[in-house]
Amino acid sequence: MRAHSVPDRSYLLLGGALAFTLAAPLLAPNEPDAFSLSLRLQGLSLEYPLGTDHLGRCVLSRLLYGFHVTPVAAFAIVAVAASIGSVLGLLSGYVGGVIDQALMRVVEGVFIFPAVAVALTISAVLGLGMGAIIVSLGAVHWAEYARVVRNLTVTEKTRTYVLAAEALGASPNWVAFRHILPNVMHAILVLIPFSMSWAILSFSGLSYLGLGAEPGSSEWGLMIAEGRVYMRDHAVLVLAPGLMILSVVIFLNTLGDRLRDRFA
Amino acid sequence: MSALVRRLGLSLVLLAGITVASFALLRVMPGDFAEILLTQQMDGEMPTAEALDRFKLEHGFEDPLPLQYLRWLGGAATGQLGTSFHSEDPVIEELVLRIPNTVLLAVSSIVTSLLIAFPLGIGAALRPGSLFDRAAMMIAVVGMATPNFWLALLGMLLFSLTLGWLPVSGFGTFAHLVLPSLVIGTSLAGVTARLVRSSLLEVLSADYIRTAHAKGLKRIRVALGHALPNALVPIVTLIGLQLGKMFDNVVVVEAVFGWPGIGRLFVEAILGRDFPVIQGCILVIGVAYIVINLTVDVAIRWIDPRVREAL
Repeated sequence: MRAHSVPDRSYLLLGGALAFTLAAPLLAPNEPDAFSLSLRLQGLSLEYPLGTDHLGRCVLSRLLYGFHVTPVAAFAIVAVAASIGSVLGLLSGYVGGVIDQALMRVVEGVFIFPAVAVALTISAVLGLGMGAIIVSLGAVHWAEYARVVRNLTVTEKTRTYVLAAEALGASPNWVAFRHILPNVMHAILVLIPFSMSWAILSFSGLSYLGLGAEPGSSEWGLMIAEGRVYMRDHAVLVLAPGLMILSVVIFLNTLGDRLRDRFA
Repeated sequence: MSALVRRLGLSLVLLAGITVASFALLRVMPGDFAEILLTQQMDGEMPTAEALDRFKLEHGFEDPLPLQYLRWLGGAATGQLGTSFHSEDPVIEELVLRIPNTVLLAVSSIVTSLLIAFPLGIGAALRPGSLFDRAAMMIAVVGMATPNFWLALLGMLLFSLTLGWLPVSGFGTFAHLVLPSLVIGTSLAGVTARLVRSSLLEVLSADYIRTAHAKGLKRIRVALGHALPNALVPIVTLIGLQLGKMFDNVVVVEAVFGWPGIGRLFVEAILGRDFPVIQGCILVIGVAYIVINLTVDVAIRWIDPRVREAL
């Protein structure tokens, strides 16, 4: 029972992006962590296409290895958020009644709360660090998933296939996860690119402040923070990672718009 | 009216939730709060086990949690939020000093974003599909995808370090306010411009607009005088949402520009695990959030009589 399927060109875009993300470190001309103080702050050259940073590390290689830091962290954040939100949304929509009422009030509140502030507080309690910030950002971003899944579940549960499953004696859990969830999956997928954008911007911003990725990581926000001091004479240290974030986020938003147009 | 009363009730529940969460913060934080307090009072000397027990008994740490909460709430209501672990200043003093600075930045950022978004959105809606429309929407897409902290650095690099027009960072004069407001303003303007365009386009296809055109009114007069007021409701809702979430932007931008507001205080407190200060900031953010959302509700009822009557 799949009413919708992702259009072919979006598949292509997504596949290409995934392949590039996976392969990015293979394209790196140098070791990303190999440092040499005698080669610090070099300009652009054949050996170091984007020059070197304050520790003499190859900027381009670090950017490419960064594909396995920032987007991966963002994906983990979104996975946490989507799982929490989908389960709560299914529960709310399928069970209904008081639980539904209460959960939707909570969603309204969470949806408009300054999420990063709450995430920072949670991660301070958990003891900071990359793992803590990923869990916290995920834990404050679930509301949109819950709302969308809940609204669809309310209509799906009146469909004949659900009634049939119930008549056959399927347990509520089975109906919710095996029958309804696959049929609301398309709505979850549409949200993911926009969530990824938000997660990338938030995570790199916190890394910039020293609250996300740990020192030494080739996280893009952290690279910008490290390059800031030398920005005046070596603008590429700040420009390149920023353009990286910008293009990935624009790509994700465009993909999200396409998916939404297709399904809406 | 009853809907407004219901919202007020909901806000009170929210406020209770926020205070419980703030109170809980000092109980779930890593380390024993009582021990940290006593160590602080003894100028960094580690207290003995007996001294700690006595201190806990005297200051009510052994009382039931609801009682402790009520006592804390009474203190918080009168401004007693404890002292910072680091500066050892009262938290309330820090907050009072910094709140106006953040409010100033937030308001000027929203105004900046509207000054950018309305011309772009209206222009785009008047000639959909035109070059201006496509350019404006392109700007909006890029604006939405640009990391705030990066835009801030680019602004510094161009306007402060290269051209020397504006100060790099700090606080005090109007010039200090320009870059931070521009950074937050542009990041918010993208979404707003898109919404101005789409809601204006929707209203422009209504019958009464055709009537206005048929009467021979000027295009611009119809768009601004007749269509825009009816397109405002979703836009005001969005502005409210942006104000409610403003803290997320402020946290980063204040830190980048060294703006002495709540956001920077909060980041410093998180980095230094200064839990009394974190608690104070969370309380301020929570109360601001409730006030903002109530105000937006009232504003929408005031703008749109249909909402007023429907509820």
